[in-house]
Amino acid sequence: MDTFDGYRRPDGRIGVRNIVAVVPLSVAVSAVATQIAGEGPERAHATPHQLSADAPDATLEQTRRILEGVATNPNVAGAVLVELGTERVDGEGIADAVAAAGRPVERLSVRECGGTAAAVETGVELVDDLAAETADARRESADVSELVLAVECGGSDATSGLAANPSVGNACDRLVDAGGTATFSETPEFIGAEHILAERCADSEVREKLLAYVDRREAAAELMGADLRGAQPSPGNQEGGLTTIEEKSLGAISKGGTTPIQDIVPYGSELPVGGGLVLMDTPGYDIESVTGKVAGGAQIAIFTTGRGSTTGNPIAPVIKVCGNPQTWDRMASNMDVNASTVVAGDDLEAVGERIYETVLETANGRPTAAEVRGLREFAINELQPNELGYFDGDGIGDGEEVSRS
Amino acid sequence: MTESGAGAETEPEAGTRRAAIELDGTDTVVTVLEDAEAGDVVGDDGALELTESVPFGHKVALVDHEPGDEIRKYGEVIGVATESIEPGEWVHTHNCDSARGKAEGRR
Amino acid sequence: MSETETERTSEHRSRSESGTESEHAVREVMNESGRRGIRDHVLILPSVVCSHTVAERIADAVEGCVATPHDNGCGQIGRDNDLTERTLIAMGAHPNVAGAVVVGLGCEHVQSDAVADALEDRGVPVRELSIQGVGGTEACVERGIEAAEALRAGETVLDGEPGGDSDSDGAVETGTDGNPDIDTAIGLADLTVGIVSTDLEDPTVETADPLVGGFADRVLTAGGRVVVAGTERVSAHPEAARERIDADLDDLLAAARSGPARAPRVRRRAGERSFEATTRAWGDASVDELLEYGESPRADTGLALVDSSSRFEEAATVLVAAGAQLVVHVTGDGIPTGHPIAPVVKVSATASTLEAVGADIDVDARTASVDDLAAYVRSVANGTPCRADVHGVTSFAIERAGPSM
Repeated sequence: MDTFDGYRRPDGRIGVRNIVAVVPLSVAVSAVATQIAGEGPERAHATPHQLSADAPDATLEQTRRILEGVATNPNVAGAVLVELGTERVDGEGIADAVAAAGRPVERLSVRECGGTAAAVETGVELVDDLAAETADARRESADVSELVLAVECGGSDATSGLAANPSVGNACDRLVDAGGTATFSETPEFIGAEHILAERCADSEVREKLLAYVDRREAAAELMGADLRGAQPSPGNQEGGLTTIEEKSLGAISKGGTTPIQDIVPYGSELPVGGGLVLMDTPGYDIESVTGKVAGGAQIAIFTTGRGSTTGNPIAPVIKVCGNPQTWDRMASNMDVNASTVVAGDDLEAVGERIYETVLETANGRPTAAEVRGLREFAINELQPNELGYFDGDGIGDGEEVSRS
Repeated sequence: MTESGAGAETEPEAGTRRAAIELDGTDTVVTVLEDAEAGDVVGDDGALELTESVPFGHKVALVDHEPGDEIRKYGEVIGVATESIEPGEWVHTHNCDSARGKAEGRR
Repeated sequence: MSETETERTSEHRSRSESGTESEHAVREVMNESGRRGIRDHVLILPSVVCSHTVAERIADAVEGCVATPHDNGCGQIGRDNDLTERTLIAMGAHPNVAGAVVVGLGCEHVQSDAVADALEDRGVPVRELSIQGVGGTEACVERGIEAAEALRAGETVLDGEPGGDSDSDGAVETGTDGNPDIDTAIGLADLTVGIVSTDLEDPTVETADPLVGGFADRVLTAGGRVVVAGTERVSAHPEAARERIDADLDDLLAAARSGPARAPRVRRRAGERSFEATTRAWGDASVDELLEYGESPRADTGLALVDSSSRFEEAATVLVAAGAQLVVHVTGDGIPTGHPIAPVVKVSATASTLEAVGADIDVDARTASVDDLAAYVRSVANGTPCRADVHGVTSFAIERAGPSM
């Protein structure tokens, strides 16, 4: 049985990092949160975002879900929630959820502190205290089945579908066979490949949900009156040989492996532990997509790339798997695993095993290339007013599952 | 998926024979695994001659396509030809369009 | 891979040897519409979320640089993508910006070289590089610092900053004796002032908005220009709005009907008050023009409305994109954030806010006169830092017009 050494939280979850999260409730205090984390200990990471204090209810609800998910991710040892004090998002509810997950939590209101400068000062004290309080956490052995592994692709090219994604898929199969959870998302990148995914769904209910999510993401092109091709594939994808969204999707879905699809959950919703392969409905925009899965509880992300994406995440280590030999040559310092050897005939199984081992090493604490460089990109998908109007009554944004129209 | 076409282990020789991969027997394109020039050949028997240069990772037509014909890779439809494409031609956004994610009407 | 860092400026601004030095220096910081810059930033402009960390590191390393980190730049289609691209170009071409380093990842939708080309066309000294093009994070930071330093070294010092801290390292001497020249001090006539009022609470509407409206009239009388944001007022009172605004409002109103309001709290309060009561911060003039995102006013425009909601961070960006060198923000909530490109003057009349976060508010509208506000704005325009800049709490956000793909 494969094991790793992680941080056991009071709620029973196991983290692979021991982060003090500094989470702003609105864009009005994102800069304050960043300053606090910057002046605090290295373990303090901020999750600055651009969502407004005032937004439609469904948008606020999705924001709340993400912030709560991020603050209760198993990698979080404790959290400081920063607010101006006039936000409509339910800060108290988020704080209660963090406390219920057995993590120490502090709320910091800029208005109650008497201004931004005072709030930064107080915030740094709070972060220092939380770091001290959680400093004696020791790693202990845990079964690999407790891992929730997020899989993402970004900066894709033709090698993604040939090398990096199938290799990562092999690693996912290994994790699922060992009893863990693997999750991939990016619903627009199911378009053209959804019939293959549908056949792999565990039951008809999951299949209907999956197809409904794909329908809704595809309909966004109608909503905008513009072809999806404006964004999918991206210019870099196209330069790298990907011609259409169908081609990109057919290469993208291999990153989840070959096991049955047990479920598909809404953006940022909780992912089951020991759940096998579970999909999440997210945009293809990779930063927002990774954030959704980390909010869902993923402790580690694997991120495949052909063109060379360098991004990380403030809460979960991000393992970069490169499938393009030219990119590997040029950007090896930003990459963790070279899967490009598959292009030259290397065995997929061997590369898959190497990726799986890298996941375990990362879980044990070995920093990824993005962590070493302090790359912690973070963005929350915002439900837009025109999207809410267009899909009115379709369960969008409330965390409920969609129905097929 | 099945691998056929030229083995990737083939050493590139003076710009003639290039590694390429056909992912499924029903595919109408192959993906070149190194930058290739017009006149280079791909395939086990070197039967397919490129009529234009094709960059690493891009696709080359294996068969004739008329406008509206399906283009297949991975054994699946990845788009439709927007103009006539002859074997050996580069297949990309200039002659292949998605059938999905359109501003007006779906499928 | 070809060299992707591009020399966009073959010659740096040359120094005149004659006695007409200061004239030249001033003319050089005028933008197309003849407006003068009141700050002299070199802008490090990420074209996509994936390169924002690199952009911030470059800006932190070189004095006189600012960065505009944002969550956009990929996975957007149609109008949504256009707004982002247009906004980024408008930031680079802003009169407060002396030159720009555009930083991309390489595979994103809003390509850094396209943004740089557009800036070059508009006469902005610009350099461009991408993480993928130069081969990774470290190389990109290093090359970006070199590019930023080159732009700084090539620029002329902005004249007319009495008491201002214009003697930043790397700036080239202008040949003047350093004494402020009274003729070149910036007055209201030189300004496009952006105005946004973001809550419509009683003290805002009754006290702070009228003060700012009086100031707006003063700016117009002096020959300056005013741009205002906050279209909830228009969607709440279409008929009254049509009487005051000399522009076609149909698209704006149709967009407002397409879904919930972007800032629902402001929209609800706007509906509870008269159009006149909600627009007191605009002053008494008629509105000459409705500006799309990133659009500049016509030469003969005095007062223009930008098509933006009252969310502060987004509205500030639209106002700056319309050419505002300085933004006046009426906030009952005490939203503390500034903007990286334009100083933001915070005005409040809300007692609880002035008590709680008075340190973040520039002007107490309960006691200030229009003269006081005008004097303060002139002082900030001539170099005095506003409170948000002193506290280093800037945020930058670009409004989205549709869902991520």
